[in-house]
Amino acid sequence: MNFDVTYFLEMIPLLLGYLGLTMKMASLGLVFALILAVNMAVVRVLKVPLLDWLVQLFISFFRGTPLLVQLFLLYYGLPQMFPLMVGIDAFSAAVIGLSLHFSAYMAESIRAAILGIDKSQMEAALSIGQSPLMAMRRIILPQAARIALPSLMNQFVDMIKSTSLAFTLGVAELMARAQMEASSSFRFFECFLAVALIYWAVVVLFTQLQNRLEKHLNRAYQR
Amino acid sequence: MLKSLRNAAVALTLTLATQGAMATETVKVGMSGTYFPFTFVKKDQLQGFEVDVWNEVAKRNDYSVEFVTSNFSGLFGLLESGRIDTISNQITMTDARKARYLFADAYVVDGAQVVTRKGSDIKGLADLKGKTVAVNLGSNYEQLLRANDVNNEITIKTYDTGIEQELMLGRIDAFVMDRVSSAQLIKEHNLPFVQAGDTFETIENAWPLLNNAKGEKLQAELNSALTAMRADGTLGAISNKWFDADITAK
Repeated sequence: MNFDVTYFLEMIPLLLGYLGLTMKMASLGLVFALILAVNMAVVRVLKVPLLDWLVQLFISFFRGTPLLVQLFLLYYGLPQMFPLMVGIDAFSAAVIGLSLHFSAYMAESIRAAILGIDKSQMEAALSIGQSPLMAMRRIILPQAARIALPSLMNQFVDMIKSTSLAFTLGVAELMARAQMEASSSFRFFECFLAVALIYWAVVVLFTQLQNRLEKHLNRAYQR
Repeated sequence: MLKSLRNAAVALTLTLATQGAMATETVKVGMSGTYFPFTFVKKDQLQGFEVDVWNEVAKRNDYSVEFVTSNFSGLFGLLESGRIDTISNQITMTDARKARYLFADAYVVDGAQVVTRKGSDIKGLADLKGKTVAVNLGSNYEQLLRANDVNNEITIKTYDTGIEQELMLGRIDAFVMDRVSSAQLIKEHNLPFVQAGDTFETIENAWPLLNNAKGEKLQAELNSALTAMRADGTLGAISNKWFDADITAK
């Protein structure tokens, strides 16, 4: 076996330099996706007329087509129809694409969590004069957050890894860097192993965070 | 928020400004960064044949060149949507592309190339009569050779791998491969081979430009720079630096 340990060890700090960009994309994507997803889930649970139908269409499209296709549509396709959209740069387009795509999945996770909260909670809130929206915000969503957390984390982890598609839009992120370095050194195994370990380490870190967060959210349920 | 996104994006765009205060025009050049030794990254530094040629063009035309790296599949989309001005990634001028884009003059000429040992009496396609010539499996070079060998005087052997080993050992007298790959192969492994004669079944690689006013302007400017670089030998020198051969000559 011909594994270049020195080269591999050199690659790790070099590639880590681009982790910031990857995480910036993923975390901005997470924020926007969550905002969208919570609103869509509430619209669906409350069956808001018309909006509910629109949200269903949105979710159906963004879950039903590959992320890469969506990114290409957004960055290369739409500007041909609407020239003003050329103004959106690659990084923004990647963040927008990731947000839209993953918000569709997250909306369904959050909807499932809301449906998992016993009906009596909503009824009790309504009985003391809260509006359905207020009850949702104050009573239902905080409880649903606990239930939704594991599956939301699933989608966030997926989003972190999906940022590697941004190179097709010209964002030279972590994976792009690994590909470019490998193309000159021909040390594909070392480069891609380094990049795999970096992604893995990040995901492990977030899993730790999730465990803590779960413990925190479970305090009230401990016997 | 879009503003902060944009700032972040500007910071991450791979920018290699070649000109300082004098630069008058910014030209955005798309490339994959993954095609060694044309465009690649080593130790975080974008470099290669394409980068050198553009830095030279920038110097002559007073451009500020901005290199945009993207996966190959995204390059034509970037050009179409006007986010880059041209692609520098060994784009072959095909009829379909010529119908849609303007092209600057070819800066790399590729094609089928006869390769033989140094000191061999084979000086080109015409000298292959009575010789044993190898081609790689899956290439169309056997048909090309046959088309040039009406009396069946060339013995053609087909190999899956190891074509260069066979030439080294003398089991074959020459092989046929595309010019650019063979130049890379010879240089990379420091083989005692030479490219014999001109290419046949030539393909030309050039920079595609959008078919509009800016494209026309760039086409004229790029062509005058390329002509000058050819005339004073700079283009050939850049090629020799990366390939030990001139892949830019016809």
